[in-house]
Amino acid sequence: MQGNPNSNNRSTAALPSGQRAKQTGEDIWKSRTDKINAELFTLTYGSLVAQLVKDYEDYIEVNAQLDKMGYNMGCRLIEDFIAKSGMTKCGSFVETADVISKIGFKMYLGITPTITNVSPDGKEFSLVFEENPLAEFVELPDEAVRELWYSNVLCGVLRGALEMVLLQVECQFVSDVLRGDESTEMKVKLVKVLDEEVPAADE
Amino acid sequence: MDSGATFENQKPPSSFSVMCVAVIGKNVSGELDHDDALKQIIGQNNPLFIRPFSTRHQELKFHYCCHTACDIIEERVAPGSKNMDLYLGLLYCLEDLAVYGFMTNTKIKFVIVISMTDSSIKDIEMKNLFRRIHNQYIALVNNPFYELESLPKITSKRFHTAIDTMVLG
Repeated sequence: MQGNPNSNNRSTAALPSGQRAKQTGEDIWKSRTDKINAELFTLTYGSLVAQLVKDYEDYIEVNAQLDKMGYNMGCRLIEDFIAKSGMTKCGSFVETADVISKIGFKMYLGITPTITNVSPDGKEFSLVFEENPLAEFVELPDEAVRELWYSNVLCGVLRGALEMVLLQVECQFVSDVLRGDESTEMKVKLVKVLDEEVPAADE
Repeated sequence: MDSGATFENQKPPSSFSVMCVAVIGKNVSGELDHDDALKQIIGQNNPLFIRPFSTRHQELKFHYCCHTACDIIEERVAPGSKNMDLYLGLLYCLEDLAVYGFMTNTKIKFVIVISMTDSSIKDIEMKNLFRRIHNQYIALVNNPFYELESLPKITSKRFHTAIDTMVLG
């Protein structure tokens, strides 16, 4: 299909290759999204996390809350994502990974995390974030370093969004530069593909 | 993002040697009329950060320098004066040390103490140095876990490393 990647043709008949996914993502980021000041965004998320830390005083609980919030966001975000990107079904979980990274993250955060550590059965992959707009300027307090996953909301977002397209996944961070690790890495694991359930008949 | 807030690969100033860099808190007291939090804007010119770079002088001497600097700064920015510039220039000289000041809009003061050399110090170089310190301070304040009012001292490793790099290279 010799489609012009810059056209607004939303009825993508062919599934995008890696290059087309990248192009689509960049197009949408450049033209069809509203932008916001980066410092405002970072400070907003930062004050959110700081307030959660003050309220719960337990970093594990804060992680759980961030995940819950992300889940709610993801459930809603997926509709916007499909509408803007015009994506159809992906052929494989690895392709899903590609779309998440090159279109999803690009559209919403302007970044493209690298996909690594794809498992042989194609059911797991890792996203490595070279830059993380959520965590600019952040330095974790000493007690938080071992327990808090600062960007945990992203795990929830992925979990929620993928669940709405019938993929049940587990997402968690395995390393974070804020903790002193070398890179920020999130592991995504496909648990199962959900089938459309027939609603239980009323008795 | 503003690249000025990240590490800048600039060489340390060559025409003079910095003896001490200090950040001094504001000098304000007043109560906010809020019902929820018992907030008071407190500041008593407390030294948030004093970093000496000299082996010849004791640290206490620099504390004294900064203390005096506070008084001079307050004179300079007295309400009647027309000085609108953040950079305050040379505040005073003490033995062989020269003290320069800079005050932000939020009344945080930066003080740089240098050993006097024979060559004249260009304003632009001092302003440059203050601007870099200011950028680092901004990066520090943007950290959501840095508490503006309650912490007596700046303990951020990133800030310390950045100031060291700025002076020592």
